[in-house]
Amino acid sequence: MKYDDKVTLYNDEGKVLAEDVPIEALSPMKNPYMGEMYVTFKRTSIIDLAKLEKILRDGTVGWMTTVGQDEIKMPWYGFRVKLIEDAGHIADELKKMLQTKDDDGTEVTLISGGNALIVQLSEEMLRRSADYSPAITSTGVALGQIVSKMADLSPIDHPHRLGLLKAALFGRYPQTVSTSPGNVVSTLIKPPSALEGMGTAFRTMMINHVVALANHRTLDAVALATILEQGGQYEMGNSIGWYERNQLLTSAFQGFNANNLVLDMIKENASGTVQDVLVYLIGRALEDGVITLKGDRYPYVQPSGYKLYSLTDYPKWNAYACASQLAAVIVNSGAARNVQSSSAVLAYYGDMLAFEAGGLPDPDAGRSMGVGLGFGFYTHGLYGGAGPGAFTMEHVITRSNSGFLTPCTVAAMCLDAGTQIFKPSVTSGLYYVLREAMPLLKDPLKKVAEAAESVKGDI
Amino acid sequence: MAEPVKKAKKQRGKKGKKAKYKSQIYPGADKVSYRRRRACDKTKKLTKFRSIPDDNLVLLLGHRFKGESYVSVHPPLDELIEKYDPIKEIVQPTPGARAGDRIRFVQFTDSMHYPPMAPWLRPRMYFARFRGIDTMVYSGRQLLEMRERDLEATTKQLLESEVFDPARSAVRGITVHGHALRLDEDGLMFDARRRYKLDNETGEVVYTKNQHADVLDVPLSVGRPLTEREARGHDVTYRWDVASFKSRTEVMSVISRYSTARIIAGFNPDMTELIDTL
Repeated sequence: MKYDDKVTLYNDEGKVLAEDVPIEALSPMKNPYMGEMYVTFKRTSIIDLAKLEKILRDGTVGWMTTVGQDEIKMPWYGFRVKLIEDAGHIADELKKMLQTKDDDGTEVTLISGGNALIVQLSEEMLRRSADYSPAITSTGVALGQIVSKMADLSPIDHPHRLGLLKAALFGRYPQTVSTSPGNVVSTLIKPPSALEGMGTAFRTMMINHVVALANHRTLDAVALATILEQGGQYEMGNSIGWYERNQLLTSAFQGFNANNLVLDMIKENASGTVQDVLVYLIGRALEDGVITLKGDRYPYVQPSGYKLYSLTDYPKWNAYACASQLAAVIVNSGAARNVQSSSAVLAYYGDMLAFEAGGLPDPDAGRSMGVGLGFGFYTHGLYGGAGPGAFTMEHVITRSNSGFLTPCTVAAMCLDAGTQIFKPSVTSGLYYVLREAMPLLKDPLKKVAEAAESVKGDI
Repeated sequence: MAEPVKKAKKQRGKKGKKAKYKSQIYPGADKVSYRRRRACDKTKKLTKFRSIPDDNLVLLLGHRFKGESYVSVHPPLDELIEKYDPIKEIVQPTPGARAGDRIRFVQFTDSMHYPPMAPWLRPRMYFARFRGIDTMVYSGRQLLEMRERDLEATTKQLLESEVFDPARSAVRGITVHGHALRLDEDGLMFDARRRYKLDNETGEVVYTKNQHADVLDVPLSVGRPLTEREARGHDVTYRWDVASFKSRTEVMSVISRYSTARIIAGFNPDMTELIDTL
């Protein structure tokens, strides 16, 4: 065991899920459930058959933005093909074409009564690929062959229909960097060609999608966001060597409600303000020995009586501070029942904390505050921009931190009572269906804890 | 790796009860520090300086007509069917959120000449004193967004108390500029939209336009400007004639402490001894 730290994980009702778990059991590299999640995110693609049938009929393909999906209309190239009716046949054919051998784990599942399909490639196919591109490319080409066969298309008689079919399945790719937004064949994470940097893939999910996958249950959504964020942090090299303990401890306390800290903070300040959470944090940190007052004279106590507290262990302090930041967002957003205020808390919490604690570093060594300010700018009328739910976790505005910021916004989005235009039910309808079809995605907090419990003996 | 945290001796007060941590908010022994600390200390009630009728406040904010009922953005929480989440049951919603009010805003601009409040201090005060708020700063202005009825109650407190000087603070929804300019000859902060003026008969500042710069039917008084002597006493900024440079020592030492700590903690979180040299 590399680190001595052990934590007890609690659910959002205050019940113990796993006792005395070493923090390494919560590592994206060691926790079996987290591993299973990452593989699932890579191998899964979704085919929207209803949309494909409609755009083939109307000739609306090649759009460039999510909101302008009808900007190009070419009904004269359109053709009718019954895809929803024959969804079962399509699923069988797809499976046959995509599997490397019989029973290799390739799965094609019908959802929404045949309106959509979930395609899951075999791990063998992923193992032999450099990345997860086949989830889009192989699936798209296979589907193209099936549809052209069903509609009896030939390049001599119907060249334009085939062109339309290609555009329906891949958008303008490869003239554009990736497929169109809202493409018929899509993955849970962005296509590899559209990634903004190395290792950001697991962070490409939109905040609203995470909320929909957790069915608006706050601490489940936080856990799910943390699993994805920390997967990304490992892949980006931000959890190596001297960063690792800090990442593990902080994600345990903030993301998985270790020692019931987050829930305690929320309960104690259920009718309080953001500053109340801050005051509770300092009191609790003093009580738990995370910070101390080394003496009662200068320099520990300043002439005005202001106290400069000292750290006993920085990663533990950071874990407490980030957990309290999440609690502060929840307390504030829970009071107004809106998501917009999350960026304001993230922007100013660090500032207030640094002055309250006598100059101790604020959450994520100031990155939360820096990102929070920019996030605030672009989610308010000051600079225009989108609602917080429409941001992805690796968006240029939200990415520059160690994965402890977006879980806070995800939590606030869960508490929103309907103040947004870009709300999860509008942007992420399919993800509610996916959650029902893929049991793995349900109850992430509980499953992470159970998985940690199952491997704690091996660490 | 760092050593495991040792359990500190628990702080205990009289009768063996756990001593509650008392918030210290802000460093410094001087007058300016005191003003800053007082603004952010919710145990200290803001002193009331003037009275503004509720109806006048509604007109000044300009979001609804006098006597008009609140517009809802979603059904009241009691009638809303929501997905199960224990956290929603724990946190108490504000009256505006409970009723499903839409979210509206008020925006303040504070002059740089003896201001009783400043854009960077407002969020700290708001987060200390009010619940369910959304605030953001940009170039001399500070935005405050809340559920409509909560916003009205909060704005009333802000306008009626010591943190508002009619001459040096202003309610400006648009065209906020003027905070860094010299005061006009009548002692008021410059406003390109001419929302307010000094009424020479009463000696009070009257708004003739609301915060969106729409003309009001009747001018609204927000009270008399503070005299220069009073304003100097309420100043929250360090300047040569209010609090000398040396009085900032404590504040500067805290700022330099956490700036250094951030840099080293970001470089290597395991260096606790270097992050915190005290």
